[in-house]
Amino acid sequence: MNCTHAHQILDAWIDNELDGATSTQIALHLKECSACLALKTGRDQLRLKVRAHAPYFNAPTSLRHSAESFTGKAGSTRSNKSNKKPSWRMTGALISITACMGVLAGYLIGAPAENSMREQVVGSHVASLSDTQQLVAVASEDRHIIKPWFQGKIDFAPAVKELSKEGFMLQGARLDHVGERPAAALVYRIRNHTINVFVWRAGDERSAAPVTTVVRGFSVTSWTNGGLRYSAISDVNRPDLERLAQLLNSES
Amino acid sequence: MSLQKDSDLAHFKATVIVHLDAAYNLARWLTRDEFSAEEAVQDACLRAFRAFGSQRGPNVKAWFMAVVRNASLDWIKQNKWRATTDEYDEELHSAADLSRSNATPEADAIQHSESLWLRNCIAKLPHEYREVIVLRELEDLPYKEISAIVNVPIGTVMSRLARGRDLLQQQLTESQKGSSS
Repeated sequence: MNCTHAHQILDAWIDNELDGATSTQIALHLKECSACLALKTGRDQLRLKVRAHAPYFNAPTSLRHSAESFTGKAGSTRSNKSNKKPSWRMTGALISITACMGVLAGYLIGAPAENSMREQVVGSHVASLSDTQQLVAVASEDRHIIKPWFQGKIDFAPAVKELSKEGFMLQGARLDHVGERPAAALVYRIRNHTINVFVWRAGDERSAAPVTTVVRGFSVTSWTNGGLRYSAISDVNRPDLERLAQLLNSES
Repeated sequence: MSLQKDSDLAHFKATVIVHLDAAYNLARWLTRDEFSAEEAVQDACLRAFRAFGSQRGPNVKAWFMAVVRNASLDWIKQNKWRATTDEYDEELHSAADLSRSNATPEADAIQHSESLWLRNCIAKLPHEYREVIVLRELEDLPYKEISAIVNVPIGTVMSRLARGRDLLQQQLTESQKGSSS
């Protein structure tokens, strides 16, 4: 592959939009060509900056109200026309409204804590990728080195797995924090994407299966297992991150 | 009215209105104005509601985002006096509305100025580059969905993203030079 071709497809590669063969070719080219590598590093920094710092404008409350109310109005005009419909429809509607309110209430109660937790995970992830901070304090592909390294540093033992067969290369670990809580950070790599897996004490939360959300362009997959809360974060595509979460969460 | 059942209304809310934040974010970046974005999204919701029964594709979010994009571009066309189409005025768009975006509470002054700077850089991009950057970096959408929303081939999405990032990077380099001298 020559530089012109590499330039043309560099962005698609960074965005995970190339097939395996072409990805391998461009990765090989970058190993040999420092100019193209510099271009790629610049792109990585730019994307990180944009994803971490560009403002995301949430819909204002006034818009949310009007969007909800106009659909409400449109719905009520319809039901006026169909007054004679059997009452089981009304019952059904009531049930679904009640269900919606239940979900909404659950969302409102649970959401702020979860949201701020995810924001903190994003913050720690971005900080770990900055030039000034060390990504790993102990660099190793061996879980028999990483797991003992945490002893005496934190008062819990995170699950550490070697998953290179699945494409996730263990890079190492470091101590970090999520908000105020001390956390273990495991670092994996897939293709050219860094994945941080933050682990901290779950308090009295029950075990929960992985759930993924997108925060500021990063995918964040979180789950709870054995009294520990796990949060994997990366700019890698969502299926890959969820696959890693499943692998780490499985018993074997 | 193409809505067949009352349950469609609940379906509309569950599949379309759930994307209101993404819709507003896109409209806000396209129109570069709070009031215009709100008007455009309201218009888009109406259009989407009317067409919901018949015209939506398999991917409801991409379909709705395309409706939002069209409504935003129409709004800009019809309200040239209000929407700043060509020259982006940094003074006019002060830091005030930045603080209302969902910056983290612990965001320090450095991050704040970084956000402001980035916002101005992205806002100054021509809209065809701005929209693909917003859809890719802030919504994390794959090229295929961006191509459906913007209504251009995937190859064009790729080249616009590359060009858009080139332009952003140029601004970044220039500002770094400016601050070091």
